Amino acid sequence: MYAIAIHGGAGAVPRATLSAERERTYCSGLQAALDSGYALLERGGSSLDAVAAAVRILEDDPSFNAGHGAALTRDGAAELDAAVMDGRQMRAGAVASVRHVRNPIDLARRVMEKSRHVLLVGAGAEEFALEEKFVLVPNHYFRTAERLEQLQSEQRGERVSDLVPPAPQGTVGAVARDQHGNLAAATSTGGMTNKRPGRVGDSPIIGAGTYAKNGVCAVSATGHGEYFIRTVAAHHVCAAVEYRGLSLEQAVHEMLHQILRSLGGDGGLIAVDAHGRIVMQFSTEGMFRGARDSDGRREIAIY
Amino acid sequence: MSRPKLPALTCLLLLCPTLGAAATTPSAPRPIVLVIHGGAGVIDPSKMSPAKEASYRQGLLAALDAGYEVLERDGTSLDAVTAAVRIMEDDPQFNAGRGAVLNHEGDAELDAAIMDGNGPHAGAVAGVRHVKNPIELARLVMEKSPHVLLVAGGAEEFALEQGVVLVPRSYFRVESRVRELEEEQRAADAERKGAPSTAVPAAAAANSMGTVGAVALDRAGNLAAATSTGGLTNKMQGRVGDSPLIGAGTYANNESCAVSGTGQGEYYIRGVIAYDICALVLYRRLSLERAVHEVIHEKLQRAGGEGGVIALDPAGNIAMDFNSIGMFRGARDSRGRREVAMYRNAKP
Repeated sequence: MYAIAIHGGAGAVPRATLSAERERTYCSGLQAALDSGYALLERGGSSLDAVAAAVRILEDDPSFNAGHGAALTRDGAAELDAAVMDGRQMRAGAVASVRHVRNPIDLARRVMEKSRHVLLVGAGAEEFALEEKFVLVPNHYFRTAERLEQLQSEQRGERVSDLVPPAPQGTVGAVARDQHGNLAAATSTGGMTNKRPGRVGDSPIIGAGTYAKNGVCAVSATGHGEYFIRTVAAHHVCAAVEYRGLSLEQAVHEMLHQILRSLGGDGGLIAVDAHGRIVMQFSTEGMFRGARDSDGRREIAIY
Repeated sequence: MSRPKLPALTCLLLLCPTLGAAATTPSAPRPIVLVIHGGAGVIDPSKMSPAKEASYRQGLLAALDAGYEVLERDGTSLDAVTAAVRIMEDDPQFNAGRGAVLNHEGDAELDAAIMDGNGPHAGAVAGVRHVKNPIELARLVMEKSPHVLLVAGGAEEFALEQGVVLVPRSYFRVESRVRELEEEQRAADAERKGAPSTAVPAAAAANSMGTVGAVALDRAGNLAAATSTGGLTNKMQGRVGDSPLIGAGTYANNESCAVSGTGQGEYYIRGVIAYDICALVLYRRLSLERAVHEVIHEKLQRAGGEGGVIALDPAGNIAMDFNSIGMFRGARDSRGRREVAMYRNAKP
């Protein structure tokens, strides 16, 4: 069985504030990302290509907190993090705090494939992007009127909703299993609204927000990043499956509802196991998510 | 409790008979332990002069004793690992703080992380260029910010807000590292031009893997881990290794173990090495030594990676293991052990 799951962030999604029209916009964005990743799997493509394609679409969609439309730092700039992991060879690539790369997930993949390194940050990551012939974009490419408004209200001390618009905890990600049984995971984010410049969350940290290992599972996280780092959340889920024989569902449930909750953290996880079984869970009010597999499952959900 | 209680408890009871005994006989004091490393790599006895060897031993002992004294005065494991790492950061012969290796542009670019096994809490910085003791900034991130990891300019902005005095980049640069960088760049050039790469200088190769770290167990039973590094000689600007990444090069949890790693960082990141050791202890119920052996000599080895780790469990069991030629290391505990070593099978 081949399968793909995606998320567009977890957080408080008050139904009241989400207009029907807005809900449709989110759902069609998720659908486009899900279907483009799935189409690759259907044609025999790799899970790596599928997760990269799905995440790139969500990065380009201003509704989600990654790439164009990312949350802004306290200085009003976008600072982006992304990671990708190939469970077949346990290869990984990540970038953090980049400000001029249109699709951070593409740069993360390039780090994995064309450098000796796993993680590049800041200006050094952009220098590498230029060496790899990426065309950089000005920082204002990422800034949308909505995100600016969100930053301003956050700075006025108003409690802003977590996801719709504004969305400080939104993050996008994808996990997939391809026809050859290879697993892959990818995550991309603008981080928290009004964050301190230089703050890096869990998304680009292998084992925290992103992890994939063939024969075990692939995981992408969204939520309060600092908690996911301290609990090494994504790797923990895979370790629970591999070392304790938990089902993926039990492992994800334990991470979200016991471990993270006991520390006071919340968020969501999407994961796929070696057989292509998908798990999507969250401890927040909602999580933008979607799943599609070769057994005919095809769903998009928010609450 | 950050882990499911039942397996953790069973594991502690199975693995830690001494801890169980200490709990029931209040007269037996709990052990205190400090373990340090100063990097793993090509440490070849035939190329080490007696003076140089003595100097490394002296540097390791100074860090070991300073950290241990904190524990002896009933200080926290967190203070002990900070003290030990700070001393090695200030010692120019180790690849951290002053005397760190230089990146492609000739600057030191420093990474550090600290983790408190009680919580657990963590703080880390990466890509800083003007902070004299990165380990102290990592600790400030843990204690004074809501974040875990701050990088580059943003991390230095935070340092200034916290009243940390920045130093010029020249503070970190020492003559021997400038020479290593030149040798490394010559070798890289030669390789690019297709010349036989006869000379990847042994010194550069050795120092490339140098990193400093410490793990400690205090009287209250709390574990802590700290790691600090300059990374790789001639590294690409912005490259971050495993040291500042929680779970990769640094991890501590009172329920399982504390680990600090040194080696080819990319392999440590992909394998989530430090956390994996603790997961094997907690969930496979391996002894600390066996967990370290499995991760270093089987998993890391199979992946083609090289390096070592120091690790410590709540009972005070110590593991110092590596698959490289040598590792600068030292251990001291309340059972009378006090040793530093650098080669394989070396007697103290």
